[in-house]
Amino acid sequence: MTTVLAVCVAVLVTVSVYLMLSRELKSVAMGVFALGHGANLSILAMSGSPVLADGGLRNPPILGAVNLVDPLPQALILTAIVINFAVMGFLLTLLIVTARRTGTINVDDLAAEDRPDGSRTGGDR
Amino acid sequence: MTNNLLGLFVVIPLATSLATGALVRRPVPQRILGLVSLCSMLVLALTWLVRIRDGEVMVSQMGAWPAPYGITLVFDSLSGLLLCAGLLVTIACYVHGFSMVEPLTERRYFHPLMQLLIVGVNQSFLTGDLFNLFVAFEIMLMASYGLLAIGRTRRQMTQAYKYLLLNLVASTVFVITAGLVYGMTGTLNIADLARFVADRSNAGVPLPTGFTGLSVMLLVVFGLKGAFFPLWFWLPDTYHTCPISIAALFSGLLTKVGVYAVLRTFPLVFAAGDARDVVLPILAVSAGATMLLGVLGAVSQHNVRRILAIHVISQVGYMVFGISMMTTVGLAGALYYMIQHMVVKSSLFLCCGVMERHAGSDDLDEMGGLLKRHRWLGAAFFVAALSLVGLPPLSGFFGKLVIIREGWTASWWLSAIGLVTGGLTLLSMLKIWTQGFWSPESGPRLNRGGDAGGRVRGLRAAHTGIGILVVAAVLIGLAAEPIYDIAFHAAEQLTDPSTYIRAVNPQAGDYVLSASGGGG
Repeated sequence: MTTVLAVCVAVLVTVSVYLMLSRELKSVAMGVFALGHGANLSILAMSGSPVLADGGLRNPPILGAVNLVDPLPQALILTAIVINFAVMGFLLTLLIVTARRTGTINVDDLAAEDRPDGSRTGGDR
Repeated sequence: MTNNLLGLFVVIPLATSLATGALVRRPVPQRILGLVSLCSMLVLALTWLVRIRDGEVMVSQMGAWPAPYGITLVFDSLSGLLLCAGLLVTIACYVHGFSMVEPLTERRYFHPLMQLLIVGVNQSFLTGDLFNLFVAFEIMLMASYGLLAIGRTRRQMTQAYKYLLLNLVASTVFVITAGLVYGMTGTLNIADLARFVADRSNAGVPLPTGFTGLSVMLLVVFGLKGAFFPLWFWLPDTYHTCPISIAALFSGLLTKVGVYAVLRTFPLVFAAGDARDVVLPILAVSAGATMLLGVLGAVSQHNVRRILAIHVISQVGYMVFGISMMTTVGLAGALYYMIQHMVVKSSLFLCCGVMERHAGSDDLDEMGGLLKRHRWLGAAFFVAALSLVGLPPLSGFFGKLVIIREGWTASWWLSAIGLVTGGLTLLSMLKIWTQGFWSPESGPRLNRGGDAGGRVRGLRAAHTGIGILVVAAVLIGLAAEPIYDIAFHAAEQLTDPSTYIRAVNPQAGDYVLSASGGGG
C-alpha cells in the first residue's frame, strides 16, 4: 500500500515539475495544484499501512475502537486540501485578471510587457 | 502560567476583518475599527510582555486539549517581543496608508486584507505547533497576495507571479516536511519535538535516519520566506510594485516571520544531533553571502525603493549570522536586531513614500533639495538611516555590537563581513542622503508630477506614521538594556528548552539537558 502511494506521489511530483517549467502560466498553475495533491498523498503515507499483519484492514478513526488508522494525517490533509482550494481559486482569478489586463498569460510576453514602462534596474543605466 | 486570552491576538483581527469587510465602501469607519483593533492588541501585548519580563512563559491550550494533542499558543519572551514590534510597525504603516493608498484601492478591501495579514502574522508568532505554523503562514500569504495585487495595475499583475508561485512551492514543501516530521517523531508540537530530541540526545540514541534531510528542507522553506541567500531573488521586484505603505509593512513583517520560524524551530529541534553539523555551516555561509551580496546590490541601485528593498536582504544576513552561532548571546543579539530592524526598515520605507510624493519619482536623479523644503522629513530619514547603519547611540549599533563581538572568536570572517557590510550600508544611505536631500534642486525636471516648490497636501497621516516609528527607533536605542534583557531570556529558553517544554507540557517531567541541546 505504501509503495503504491509512493509511486503516486512520484508521478504527481514529476508531472507537476514538468508543468511548472512551462512558459504558459495556466500550465504552471496546474503544476502547482498537482504538487499540492502529491504533498497530500505523501502525508497520507505517514499514517502507516492500513493493512494489518494478518491481512485484515485497520478500522477508520470514528467507527472502530481497536486497530485504528492514525487519524491525525487525515486531519492534516483535510486542512491542506481546504488551503489548496483557496489558493487555487485565487491563482485562477489572478490569471483571468492578468489575461484581461495584458492580453496574455505567457511568461515571456509578460516579461516583455514589463520592460518598456521603465522597469530598468540600476545596473543597466 | 496559563492565559486563555492569548487567542485574542487571532480573534480580534479576524473579527475586525469581517466587520471592515462588511463596511467596505465607507473608509472612515473602517479606519477607526482597524486602528482600535491594532492598538488594543498592542496594549495587550505590551502588558503581557511586562508581566513575563522575568522569563516566564504564558500558554493557552485550545479547547483544553493537553499539550501534544491539541493546538498550543505560547506567549514567551521571543513571541512577545516580536508581537509588540510587529504590531507597532503595522500601526505606523496603517496610519501612513491613510494618506498614501489611493482611495479606490482603499475601497477594494485594503482594510480587511490588512487585518487578515495580522491574523497570520500573530498566529505564526504565537503558535506552538508546526502544522499550525503552516496554516498561519498560509493565512498571512493569502492576505499578502491580495495586498500585492491590490489596485490591479499592469506592473503588479506581471510581478505578482514571482512571489506567488515561489511561495506556493515553498508552502507545499513545508506541508510535506510537516507530514514527514509527524511520521518520524509522532508529534508536531514544537515543545514535544524538543522533548523528543532532548530525550534522544540524553539517552545517547541517534536521531531517526533522515532527520538531517528534514532540517534542510525546513531551512529551504524558511529561507525562502526570510530571503536568505541564495533564495532572495523574489524580493526586490515584489517590493517595487505595490503601494509604498504596503511595501513598508511587508519589509517589516514578512521576511521577519521567516527568520522567526528559523529562530524558533532550529535551536529547539532541528539543529540537533547530526543535523547540527550540516545546518550550522549552511547558515553561516548563507549569512555571509546574504550580508555582503545584499549590500553590494543596494550600492549598485539608483532608485530609493530598490536600494531599501535590497537592504532588507542584507540586514536579514545579520540575523542569520546571530542564529548560525547557536549561542545564547548570538541568539539574543539576532532577536534584538530583528526588533530594531523591523522598526527602522519600515520607517525608511515610509520616508521613501513621502519623498516619492514630493519629487514625483523614486529615481535619485529626479530628486534633490528635499532638505531645504522638508526639514523634518530629512531629520526623520537621517535618524532612521543612521540606525540602520548602526551608529551609537542609535538602535542598530547595539544589535550589531552584540552579534559581531560574539562572532569575533568563533567565526571571525563573518564578523569581518559584518563590519564591511556596515560600511557599505553607510555608503548606500549617503547616496540617498546626498542626492535626495542635500543636492541642489535640479531645474525643470522637478515639475514633473512633483510638488514643484508648493506643499503637497494631505500628508499629515503619513508624517504621523513616520513619527511613530522614528521615535520608537530612538527609544529602542536608548532603552537597549531592558529590551536586550528580555531578548536574553528568550535566547536562554531557546538554548535550554526545559522551561519551554515544561510550560507547554507540565507532564513532561524534568529535563536536564546534555551539551548537545545547546551551546552557551
